[in-house]
Amino acid sequence: MILWYNQNGDYMTYLDYSATTPVNEEVIDSYVKTCHNFIGNPNSLHRLGIEANALMNEATDQISHLLGVKSSEIIYTSGSSESNNTAIKGIAFQYQNRGKHIITTELEHSSVIAPLQYLVSLGFEVDFAPLDQEGKVDLESLKSLLRDDTILVSIGSVSSELGILQPITEIAELLKSYPKCFFHVDMTQSIGKVTIPLKDIDLVSFSAHKFYGMKGIGVLVKKESVVLQPLIHGGKSTTIWRSGTPALALIVSLSKALRLAFKNMESNQIEELNQYLREQLSQMDMVHINSPQTSIPHILNFSVPRLKPETLQHALEEKDIFISTQTACSKGGSPSTAVMALTHDESYATSSVRVSISHLTTKDEICYFVKALIEVIERLQIRG
Amino acid sequence: MRIVQISAIWCSSCLVMQKIWNHARDVFQEIEWCLLDLDFDSEKVSKYQVGDKIPVLIFEKNGEEISRLIGEKKEEEVLEWIKQNIGG
Repeated sequence: MILWYNQNGDYMTYLDYSATTPVNEEVIDSYVKTCHNFIGNPNSLHRLGIEANALMNEATDQISHLLGVKSSEIIYTSGSSESNNTAIKGIAFQYQNRGKHIITTELEHSSVIAPLQYLVSLGFEVDFAPLDQEGKVDLESLKSLLRDDTILVSIGSVSSELGILQPITEIAELLKSYPKCFFHVDMTQSIGKVTIPLKDIDLVSFSAHKFYGMKGIGVLVKKESVVLQPLIHGGKSTTIWRSGTPALALIVSLSKALRLAFKNMESNQIEELNQYLREQLSQMDMVHINSPQTSIPHILNFSVPRLKPETLQHALEEKDIFISTQTACSKGGSPSTAVMALTHDESYATSSVRVSISHLTTKDEICYFVKALIEVIERLQIRG
Repeated sequence: MRIVQISAIWCSSCLVMQKIWNHARDVFQEIEWCLLDLDFDSEKVSKYQVGDKIPVLIFEKNGEEISRLIGEKKEEEVLEWIKQNIGG
């Protein structure tokens, strides 16, 4: 069964779930109902405000319960980019007297790289943790980079381009011996896909639209003991760490989306589809699979070295198949830093595409994609 | 003599290169460095016809481009490239 239709009512095959996901109907329903039934500002002191505030607290309690953290540790943001910026700049500005050294990896999203680049322009120093052959952070190398003036380690749990799952729990364990250094994890690509305990992590970022929630709402989980310089100053909203009128309907919808995402995590259908797709791709001479076997099954990155990824993407789009070249937030046409860091091969880095699947993806869709890919590669090669 | 450095704030290769560039600036203090951001300085950058790959270093003498270095490079490569262009 193919689930999605374009505006003309034709079938389409959506294989770009890591860029964003279609909003779940129940999530839309919770958003609409909240908009209709709770018109008050949760910060207002009259009855409508108090009712809105109670609903917000209920949603926050549900979110914190699902994540295994305290309600007071939830900071609502506009999405992962804001959460990442708040975490990284917030720690840097608050603790710069302690040190100006930060460690990250080459696999991070631009919303981690850009604030770090900004901090470098202010005199901070950034080092990159070396990766092993599967793209995972090498713990011994990370340890050797840690210094007395290291104030932050920022590592994404799953890389958006390749699906590499980092040893977050082991890194958190290592960082316990460095009490002056905070640990930030961008969990945008892992929430609702992989279970990672948040217990020993100081700051966690994620966004609702990656797990069938609405765009425009995200979370930064901040351990109670951690102090941040806020990016947005104003009155006390849900917390002092991020001002602005609480987006009640979005918050309630996020709570709903998170509950559904956690429920759907138990399916092993994605694993089977990924394995099937891997097998099919590995039989194609022109294709090189970049995602290591240990990547999460939701993401499969591969290269067709003699074809431009945009050409391949558009040729598939003509067949109403939607995949992505790099991530949606990087410069089109540029080589993939993540693929380069993993494969050390420029021909792979300049020709990589990403297929991302979900519990909504069907075997029919994967079969249709494989058939279309074979046709498109043959056609483009003849033309090229 | 000047080096035009074209990078972008979201580019991780550019961030990787920052330390190396800072060191090169210290070593070759006689060279003027002109820092351009691909997005924020797009008008100035357009005349250099930068392709898909960044960062780019462009070595200029008397206002003329004599060489360019593209992508992530090792520190020795950057220092050697500058040394050669100073002498060349």
